[in-house]
Amino acid sequence: MTSAVDPAAPSAEPVASENERAGVATWRAFRSEPLGPISAGILLGLVFVALAAPLLAPYPASYGSDVLKAPSLQYPFGTDSLGRDLLGEIIWGTQQSLLVAVAASVIAIAIGTVMAVIGAFFRRVDSFISIIVDLTLSLPVLPLMILVAALAGPSTATIIAVIAAFSWPEVTRLVRSQALTVVDLPYVDAARLMTTSSAWIIGRHIIPAVTPVIIVSVVVTASRAVLAAAGLAFLGLGDPTTWSWGRILYEAQQSGAMSSAWWLTLFPSIAILLLVLSATLLSIAYNDASNPRNRSR
Amino acid sequence: MSRLSFILRRLIRAFVTILFAVTVTFLLLRLMPGDPALAIASPNMTDEARALLLTQYGLDKPLFVQFGLYLGQVFQGNFGTSFTQSRPVLDVLLQRLPWTLLLTFTALTLTVIVGIPLGVLAASRRGKLLDKIVQVIGVTGQSLFVPSIGVLLLYVFGLMLGWFPIGGAYSTGTYGLDWYASVATHLVLPAVSLMLIQLGSYVLTMRATLIDALEEDYVTLAKANGLPKRRILWKHAMRNALLPTTTLIGLQLGFLVGGAVLTETVFAYPGIGRGIYEAVTQLDFPVLQGAFLLLAITVVVANMVTDIIYGFLDPRVKTS
Repeated sequence: MTSAVDPAAPSAEPVASENERAGVATWRAFRSEPLGPISAGILLGLVFVALAAPLLAPYPASYGSDVLKAPSLQYPFGTDSLGRDLLGEIIWGTQQSLLVAVAASVIAIAIGTVMAVIGAFFRRVDSFISIIVDLTLSLPVLPLMILVAALAGPSTATIIAVIAAFSWPEVTRLVRSQALTVVDLPYVDAARLMTTSSAWIIGRHIIPAVTPVIIVSVVVTASRAVLAAAGLAFLGLGDPTTWSWGRILYEAQQSGAMSSAWWLTLFPSIAILLLVLSATLLSIAYNDASNPRNRSR
Repeated sequence: MSRLSFILRRLIRAFVTILFAVTVTFLLLRLMPGDPALAIASPNMTDEARALLLTQYGLDKPLFVQFGLYLGQVFQGNFGTSFTQSRPVLDVLLQRLPWTLLLTFTALTLTVIVGIPLGVLAASRRGKLLDKIVQVIGVTGQSLFVPSIGVLLLYVFGLMLGWFPIGGAYSTGTYGLDWYASVATHLVLPAVSLMLIQLGSYVLTMRATLIDALEEDYVTLAKANGLPKRRILWKHAMRNALLPTTTLIGLQLGFLVGGAVLTETVFAYPGIGRGIYEAVTQLDFPVLQGAFLLLAITVVVANMVTDIIYGFLDPRVKTS
């Protein structure tokens, strides 16, 4: 990552082992509470469903004659108004929901972190960045996302881009407050004496220090992205060529079957809740585990 | 800082935020890949009509000039003409705005009335069963998808039990008091759905700040003075814990409006959100852009008003 002459080589060792020890302690605290591992298990299960979708169910494309059938042995989750198997739609929808959540939050985290760290490190641009963040956060974001998604035309790429474009300010706000406290610490001043490369200081000292905040905000951003994507799809702005949980709800609403065929809304709703709730609980469990003050209890 | 300059600063801030919203909208409309004229000219128009419209809106001029024209139009309340209804967008939206205001304001009031006492109860019984239940409700509430909870309420209380009407905002053919009563019954389910997704943040914030407040010295002093526990909790500690919870209202307003868009869609509630849903299916871009701007202005103004009221209530704000 840096040139051959590594000015921080002597300090690299203790920092690394310190991080490792903290990591081990966090992991031990994380395992001791059931909530974290259970949430992680549910998330892994959903990831498995998403990856194994082609093996678990055929892609629900062809129309069937069994229209709006309640859950039965043949169709465990029932069928929709065009006779397609709801279980298959949910399974394939898992793929889309996870893809959007991961892609949108990774982009939002990358932009958000860079903005936060640049702002904290170069104070001159800080006020500009924080004004943009404040202004964006004070606007109703969903109507804005709807406008952009409608203009750009519904596709998976649009949805990811739109969600990412309006989620990074939240990340910046979270990370910036942490980065600001780190920038003033003596070891950063020391690093400034050793090198003139701001990029090096940011990469070596500031990013590692804000990593815990980033991990938590990945989860928070991802679960918000799931809700935002479902909301857009529910309004008819989802990708019409792939299944998503929001699209199932949208089609149920469009066909007027929402109130009579309870399974059409219940199962996608449970899927959304399961994903968002387990992600949220995981971030809470991680937060508690990584906080040394909570460990002694 | 005097009161006047405090109010003035808030006014300027609100104005800058609205200006930002307008700028973002303009840039999105003009810089999006695709036809920039799409936003004002329907693809079904003849070429001449389209060309005329483009000149009329100054779309053949440089971007900078276009921005000036756009700003002028927006601040005159000219948001363009709806494709589908051939009426000014502002007329279409202003007809819907009162319903959205009624829904969001009711939901917000419900959230505060239910959320704050729940948070106080949880904090006062920290670590006990009630606290754990409240925390679970708080975290789960934040993970709810509004349409899901809306349909669930609709199904149970509208269809199965028949307690509340299943859609719309009022019963047609009712007058006077009956009409107000029908508005109230139509409001219950959408407002409760919207409350449920908001509740979590309020409960958890109230709980966390109150737990901090209960560890302050003045609480210890009050205890040492032998004041009743109840009085310390509700009068001394809660007053201070209320401040961060009040600022939460401002932070959550944008989220509340987003939730209202989805809720109105589920309940066929004739507000701006339902209008957005209909505009999306008909690709009525002027309505979509107008709806965003109007909602943004509403949120910013509401935020400014709460800020100013808050400034008068909290003596510290004036001096800082």
